[in-house]
Amino acid sequence: MKKRLFVLVFPALLAGLASPSVLSTAQSGDLTVKDSLDRTVVIPAKVKRIVSIQSEITRLIVALGAGDDLVGIDYTMRLHDHLFKHIYPEESRLPLVSMAENNVNLETVVSLKPDIIFASPFERQIVDAIQRKTRIPVVALASLGDVSKLADEMRLVGRILGRERRAEELSAYFTGAVGLVRERLKDVPRDKRPRVYMSFWGFLTRTPIHYDPVEIAAGLNLAEKIIPDVLGSVGTMVKIEQIILWDPDLILVHGNYLPKERTVTVESVLKDSRLASLSSVRSKRVFYTFGFWNWWDIAEVLLETEYLAHLFHPDRFPEFDLGRRGDAIYKKFYGLDDGFAKLSAILRCDEWVHD
Amino acid sequence: MTKKQRALGLLIVLFPFVAFFVSLSIGVVHIPLDGVLKSLLSPIFPSLKQGLPENYLGIVLGVRLPRLLLALLAGAGLSVSGASLQALSKNPLVNEYILGISSGAAFGASLSIVIFRQSFPPQISAFVFAVAAVMIVLLISRNSDSPIVSLLLTGIIVSAFFSALLSLVEFFASPYALQGLFYWLMGNLGWPGWGALSISLPLTAVGTAGLILMRWRMNVLSMSDEEARSLGVNIRREKLMVIFLATLVTAAVTSVAGIIGWVGLIVPHLVRMMVGVDNRRVVPLSAAMGAGYLILADDLARGLASSFEIPVGIFTSLIGIPFFILLLRKSKRIWL
Amino acid sequence: MSIWVKDLRFDYRNFSLHIQNLRFEAAKLTSIVGPNGAGKTTLLKCLCAILPIARDSLFLDRRDIALLSAEERARLIAYVPQEHSSAFNYAVQDFVLMGRAAYVSLFSTPSAADVEIALEALEYVGLRRYAARPYFELSSGERRLVLIARALAQKSDILILDEPTSFLDPKHETELMDLARRLAVEKKKTVLVTLHNLDMAVKYSDVIVFMKKGGVVAGGSPDDILTEPLLESVYEIKMNILRHDGRKFIVK
Repeated sequence: MKKRLFVLVFPALLAGLASPSVLSTAQSGDLTVKDSLDRTVVIPAKVKRIVSIQSEITRLIVALGAGDDLVGIDYTMRLHDHLFKHIYPEESRLPLVSMAENNVNLETVVSLKPDIIFASPFERQIVDAIQRKTRIPVVALASLGDVSKLADEMRLVGRILGRERRAEELSAYFTGAVGLVRERLKDVPRDKRPRVYMSFWGFLTRTPIHYDPVEIAAGLNLAEKIIPDVLGSVGTMVKIEQIILWDPDLILVHGNYLPKERTVTVESVLKDSRLASLSSVRSKRVFYTFGFWNWWDIAEVLLETEYLAHLFHPDRFPEFDLGRRGDAIYKKFYGLDDGFAKLSAILRCDEWVHD
Repeated sequence: MTKKQRALGLLIVLFPFVAFFVSLSIGVVHIPLDGVLKSLLSPIFPSLKQGLPENYLGIVLGVRLPRLLLALLAGAGLSVSGASLQALSKNPLVNEYILGISSGAAFGASLSIVIFRQSFPPQISAFVFAVAAVMIVLLISRNSDSPIVSLLLTGIIVSAFFSALLSLVEFFASPYALQGLFYWLMGNLGWPGWGALSISLPLTAVGTAGLILMRWRMNVLSMSDEEARSLGVNIRREKLMVIFLATLVTAAVTSVAGIIGWVGLIVPHLVRMMVGVDNRRVVPLSAAMGAGYLILADDLARGLASSFEIPVGIFTSLIGIPFFILLLRKSKRIWL
Repeated sequence: MSIWVKDLRFDYRNFSLHIQNLRFEAAKLTSIVGPNGAGKTTLLKCLCAILPIARDSLFLDRRDIALLSAEERARLIAYVPQEHSSAFNYAVQDFVLMGRAAYVSLFSTPSAADVEIALEALEYVGLRRYAARPYFELSSGERRLVLIARALAQKSDILILDEPTSFLDPKHETELMDLARRLAVEKKKTVLVTLHNLDMAVKYSDVIVFMKKGGVVAGGSPDDILTEPLLESVYEIKMNILRHDGRKFIVK
């Protein structure tokens, strides 16, 4: 049963987590940080060997140019990530350290002698247990669907890895681009902001109760905070009648699933007889968006924010082109010319924009 | 049959019809009963659409009607197969869980959902493994000196085995496929579209009807095998038939609605408490009671929280078990 | 209808039954007696095909029992078990009605005529007034009668009773044997009874069959075959036969 509960919580990110930060630097250069679970962790000054079982951080590490410091890889990046083998081809030579979220092979981890382990903050006991058993500092981090936290996280990881300049450069790029979108949309009045319903995580009725990219792109998430924060999740099940009652202006479908694995598709929403009365269905305002995929990918989040801004307010972003912009962003973060082209081929993003 | 039993029987028969109609008005949008009636009749009398709020038709006909139909058939099917399996195994504690049918079906459906990516219909996969599970249970527990204990024991063991297989599937599934599987396993009537229902509903209906037709035979089958044989029953054939139908129903329901717990155990017992143990009454009235019961449980899932939804499988257990305990304590004499 | 055991073999792990050429006549009450483990119950269960039997071993008139379908057999032979236990406490009438299983098809329910037959059977054993009572509220003697009524509802020519008198007090024992006797005489049924009480066997039987170690030792009318040497060889203890009022009594 415990395992079941874990699955329930997993993408439904825990809310109310602390904001990670650097607390102090010792004479020796050791760093004391506070992580997302409000744990205080002391990290050696020189971090040269890294294990990350938190996909979001693994991607940041590669973006920061520290991919070669990774000494192990977790199962999500090896088995369930669309792009990682392209943005970091050397991953194939790294030993696998986990087979499921709560199934980390600690013996392998210890034998790899990492200086630090990055983990996700979904279950404190696991995080503590890994640190206790391996005697290696474990930092639990997640941005939890919050764009500014994601930028902070990049700086913090940069600091820990001694790659402050690259981190500063990327987070400035990210924050700047996001700020540009905000700036262009700040005067959109509330009644001109599309009321958006998101079908995430493979169910028509599952939806995030907060999603920054939609807010930044001047859309209104209809399910915003419909369950209290204390319940500690960003996702919930809604009733289909509620969706009908909301009559959203626009429906977004989780597009990060492989096309053959999508249980909810734009077509299935358009064909669903229960939704036939919705204005968004009648006007075919149903689109894919990226959504979470093993936490977040900073490049993808930026691209998604701009994509949604264009989708919601095309008149304000007439020049936006998903393919071109995607290539530029992936080049910036991962140094790849065809990074987004590959992702687009996998997720069939070229078919996303329809009339 | 006493007068009281007759009256209670009549109430049970009326229960699902009343529940069905009233439930059409329950939900996020409260639709008054006359609105429900007009919406229901509007396909025949288009003039009734006049003056109805725009979304009534979609909600009543598009959302609530199919869902309530599923609840009706699933509740009837699970209860009837529960009652039948109890008669067949001569054991009032048996249900589709204990015989491993549910875990077999759950494993089969998850295999199809996660591994075969639905290229292989979950209904068929669920049925194949449900049959496998129940056959293993019956084969192992056959020829034992204490058949009831050995049936329960092997059932638990086989269930555990298929749960382990299910865990194995979960283990290899991507976290995102797991999401779907997890919610599906909790039991919910709200997801399947007409496509999945068009396979599952007829199978459920056929299986349930077959079991109801065999209702008197259940009495004879509930005798010891020796007695039943001497009474002229071809035991092997008839047992297989009941198991086949009950498994068909459970697998068909499980593949669209996930695991909806306790209905198959609690409903037949409620019915026995009210009208006695004769399966000529118990089996068909279990269908009526189960249909109404699941509709009411689903009303809670649909109507309780404002906009978010709690899986119905949680409610069938949450209401059913305390109610059952209450009845157990209240009824002085044992009703079996 | 008579039963002919032509050549019956049945093997358990450490026991085997082998009977050749034994007949049970119509309208007669036959008792099967013998020590524990003689194979009495096994013989009965073979007759009812509760245990699997080979072809060409048992015949009803000219029909091979092994070739009969379950329904056909149940219309010819009814079996009254020693005891009935069940998790479900059916009403007596519903219980007796199950005797009609061989006449009611798989997907239907008993007709009004079937119900009438069940009630008549209950009437015959004298328990019609208990028709609506739950089976397990009856005394053990009454339960035996209900089991017999269920067998009567089968409308078979042959009635097989497995130790019907065990655990009964003398009054109920006598009533039950009277009933068995009436079934043979009035209803012309072939009645087979296994018994432990030899005096009962002597008093009520037309024919007694002695069994030991899976075989038949002797068979015939009590008057003809009952001798002290036979009893001693069957039961392996000393027994005396006394005569009183023209009847034989056995003293251990």
